[in-house]
Amino acid sequence: MSCTRIRTLLTGYLDGELEADDGSVVRGHLRECAACRQAATDESALRDGLRQLPPVDPPPSLWAGVQAQLAAAEVADAKRPAWRRALARWAPVAPRFATGGLVAAAAVAVVWWRTQRTVDDAQVPAPEVAITAPSPEVEPKVVPPPSSPAGDVTAELAGEAARTTDTYADAAEELLALATEARVQWTTEQKDAFDARVAELRGLIDRAPEGRSRQRAWGKLIKYLQGAVVRDDIALAGGGL
Amino acid sequence: MSDLAETVPVVPSPILAEPRPRHPAALADDAQLIAACRRGEARAMEMLYHQYKRRVFGMAHRIVGASDAEEVAQEVFVRVFRALGNFRGDSALSTWIYRLTVNASLSHLAKRGRRQEVSDEGLAELPAPPAVERDSGLAARIESALGQLPAGYRAILVLHDVEGLSHEECAAILECRVGTCKSQLHKARARMREILGPSVDRPVAKERA
Repeated sequence: MSCTRIRTLLTGYLDGELEADDGSVVRGHLRECAACRQAATDESALRDGLRQLPPVDPPPSLWAGVQAQLAAAEVADAKRPAWRRALARWAPVAPRFATGGLVAAAAVAVVWWRTQRTVDDAQVPAPEVAITAPSPEVEPKVVPPPSSPAGDVTAELAGEAARTTDTYADAAEELLALATEARVQWTTEQKDAFDARVAELRGLIDRAPEGRSRQRAWGKLIKYLQGAVVRDDIALAGGGL
Repeated sequence: MSDLAETVPVVPSPILAEPRPRHPAALADDAQLIAACRRGEARAMEMLYHQYKRRVFGMAHRIVGASDAEEVAQEVFVRVFRALGNFRGDSALSTWIYRLTVNASLSHLAKRGRRQEVSDEGLAELPAPPAVERDSGLAARIESALGQLPAGYRAILVLHDVEGLSHEECAAILECRVGTCKSQLHKARARMREILGPSVDRPVAKERA
């Protein structure tokens, strides 16, 4: 086994995470290769040094500071209107409910549209349920009048989709600006990898059909950019993709 | 061969590897502690604080530096107590708290980086860099080298090597795959060795002697 391969196994070997066979191969190599033995000794010393770093005691003022901030937050809570407290309570789960709401609205819209098409194709009088349906002489697929409830839903969905796309685009632009600041510290390989990945993800966005697919593509780009900016590490940023 | 047989065991064998320090022993069952904290019981909140204060402060200290560690740790505990009502128990309480700590630390560094770039006037007010003790002991050199690493590498080294968490725990905290976690640790240690230079082991040999 080459020294390069052995070096990649050293971390696992020193941490006792290799299978017995691999461990034996590494030990055998170390018996014969002075350079890898030195690397292993260095990494072992480093690992031991890190493990033996003394614990850091927090200052006594920390708990007092936490209590003071909690008290201030509770006072602020008490002064906040009830609806805002309720909003804050639901905020963590709101996205799931919003998604559920959108799915339900989309389902209603699809059912309505299919009903319309069936009605138009069959040239039968509109059933009682289709109070909101356009009259038979109206072309199929025409957006219903704004006064109809189904029309409201469709328009609302389209508006919501557009707003969501704008939000994604704004977030991505902001993160790209941050990444531009951070990239001065990156290596050429990291910059190339970053540029290639961003271009790839932008291509995905352009190719994705409007709607959930495009939102997912935006989400991928934003997740990657967040990783690059927050973790300060291109490889780690790419790890979850 | 006898010569080699003496030198190789310097590298600890996997079988002889020392057991890692684990989570601090739970002072109380997590579920009971969480329920009591949600009710606002001061004693339970204090117990939870004491259970995690060293690790939270230690992680923040080594990721953001001594000068900002208290601010970050305070923010973490306030978030913990405020958000405990929404804690769903998808992960262990400790994992959740450490994730908050790492995220707060990395966000703090990102914000601090932006602030420093935005205002040169603020240079005079910038906190001092992490304290490096004058002695050249290995611990001081390691602390100094840690401060020179990219934040992502620092986080994985602190979680895995300093705090002794498993790769699975680190992956849950950093929200990445276990394989990514392992490769990052390998790269982080390699970078540390580059920073520390070729004599990593010499001070250790002296200290051990």
